[in-house]
Amino acid sequence: MNIKETFINGGILRFTLEGVDVSIANSLRRIMISEVPTMAIDEIYVAENTTPLFDEIIAHRLGLIPLKTDLDSYTFKDKCSCQGVGCSRCQVVFSIDKKAETDGEIIYSRDLKSDDVNVTPVTPNIPIAKMARGQRLTLEAYARLGTGKEHAKWEPVAACFYKYKPIVELDTGKCNLCGACVSECPKNIFKIEKNKVVIENADTCILCLECVNKCKPNAIRVSYDKNNIMFTVESTGALPPERIFLEALKIFDDKLSELRSIITGKSEVDK
Amino acid sequence: MFKILIPVRCFTCGKLIADKWEEFKERTLKGEDPKKVLDEMGFTRYCCRRMLLSHVNAIDEILKF
Repeated sequence: MNIKETFINGGILRFTLEGVDVSIANSLRRIMISEVPTMAIDEIYVAENTTPLFDEIIAHRLGLIPLKTDLDSYTFKDKCSCQGVGCSRCQVVFSIDKKAETDGEIIYSRDLKSDDVNVTPVTPNIPIAKMARGQRLTLEAYARLGTGKEHAKWEPVAACFYKYKPIVELDTGKCNLCGACVSECPKNIFKIEKNKVVIENADTCILCLECVNKCKPNAIRVSYDKNNIMFTVESTGALPPERIFLEALKIFDDKLSELRSIITGKSEVDK
Repeated sequence: MFKILIPVRCFTCGKLIADKWEEFKERTLKGEDPKKVLDEMGFTRYCCRRMLLSHVNAIDEILKF
């Protein structure tokens, strides 16, 4: 397996996997979505809530806030040495205490006070509730590690997908410069330059085949390379996208070694 | 009770959208083209774009009571 053409920009990671079957690529995609752990608020205790929103709505909104996750210093609550009680190694405590002095005051994610400086909401600007004058929200929230398998709020990725590398070929001998491909392509891959059709950014092709269908002299051929899989991983901000991919590889490796030990009969499961 | 405040994440893909609502609202009210604003704010998929385009903030109506 080769990784080529890596590109990271603002929480989005793009790369091409070479010499790998789709089954492997799909396993990695599914692990990234549902098995890479992140932090999210899971339980809240409401002391006072006089805002127009129900406790449940606030709990739901708090849960969906992505938290910057420090994977190295936290463990799963059920695998922690405190046996699921909740300690500083498996749980982060947040608190909100805000009273509205004026009408229309908004509680933002920045009002969440965390007891660990490394685990905070990814941006300070997420509105949680709006209050009229005199209303008050006091609560304590507990965040823990979890996976997307359990609830989508623990998914580290927003969009995580792959496609085959598209191949767009042009037979310049047959092309009659009608320009149909230029106007039909939704991704604007074709351009006419100096009496020649030029292909630009063929990687963005979505294989819709509009250009092939509209080309009267049959000069365009569109196909895909099954050996090159182009991945896009968009992080929610909880983990950097490259870390998500590396964690997914680790989890995949663990799964494969477990499978191997089951097959060779050395597993605990087998006994 | 569905959309009183802007939802925290996109229903379909899970991208964080709530923190971008205020900027979007402000800029579109000034008369900027929503298409241009969404493009500049990095909304590439139509699932996230419809979240902002179709949202109606109803909390100010409820806040009075």
